[in-house]
Amino acid sequence: MKWRSSDLKQYQNAKEYIDTVIIPIIPFQIDLEMLAFQSEVLTIFANEIEKELAGRVMLMPTYSYLKTVDPQSEINRINAWIANIKEQPFTNVFLLTFDANWKKNEKEVHGHLLWLPSVKSGNLQSNEMKAMIRDQTNQIIELIQVYW
Amino acid sequence: MSKEKQQVSRRQFLNYSLMGVGGFMAAGLLVSPIRMAIDPVLKKTAAGDYANAGISVDDITTEPQRVDWTIEQVDGWYQSKPSKTAWVYKDDNDEIVALSPICTHLGCVVSWEGNDQYPDQFFCPCHGGRYEKDGTNIPGTPPLAPLAVYEQKVENGILFLGNAISRKGA
Ligand code: FES
Repeated sequence: MKWRSSDLKQYQNAKEYIDTVIIPIIPFQIDLEMLAFQSEVLTIFANEIEKELAGRVMLMPTYSYLKTVDPQSEINRINAWIANIKEQPFTNVFLLTFDANWKKNEKEVHGHLLWLPSVKSGNLQSNEMKAMIRDQTNQIIELIQVYW
Repeated sequence: MSKEKQQVSRRQFLNYSLMGVGGFMAAGLLVSPIRMAIDPVLKKTAAGDYANAGISVDDITTEPQRVDWTIEQVDGWYQSKPSKTAWVYKDDNDEIVALSPICTHLGCVVSWEGNDQYPDQFFCPCHGGRYEKDGTNIPGTPPLAPLAVYEQKVENGILFLGNAISRKGA
């Protein structure tokens, strides 16, 4: 499910079944086309995963941050999100990102990092891209299930 | 004096016109649910809308296989191409069966033989829901209803699928 009013009603009624959250994490700098592209691809990934696992996973609003900002302050900020989410309670929090910088600080982040090797550019409608997304989605889903 | 009078009347005029706008907006809110119900442009799918599922009848076997296709959809805010999925196979009478993959528990996507422990069943990865090959939910697992069945037709040897029709619980 997603963070929208109709899904939240369903969530309230079936809380014990929905124990996992996915947060797409997207770096942002307005003139970098590559980041915009990655943001599009990551959004597609997040939606695909949500579609397959809609009954147990809630997709959060995208967490965005300035590319240039000091990593430590972002670690603190994302940990505040995670702490708040876990109060619900949610047991598993996954962070979905292309940004390898998170990988370096993985231990300090209080969620499971799903780091995807980045795509730099391409045509979102092409069959190769669709096949790639399909394939990666399946792998991520398998990985998530390992934690269940 | 007359100046002030003029000001007041201008303010009144403004007030009235603002109220007028508000009134229009309220009327819009009242009307829109009805409009949603009858305006054909806003309808999600018209009855009898079949889409090419992208598989030829000859390629359908007794083993369920997953087919994905996209449909054109207009829903008031967006025009989108949502993707759809079905599990398709031929049953013992050689009839084509197209099942919706959406778990009737909370909506995850089920897979044929998705768990090694349960061959010949559909398996839901989320809470272990299971279904027989014909889509009947297996008692004792979370789902309370069978998988929905797509309306279908065959044209020129190609499978076309329509709406998914839900069925009563086992
Ligand atoms: S969503 Fe399929 S078993 Fe719960």
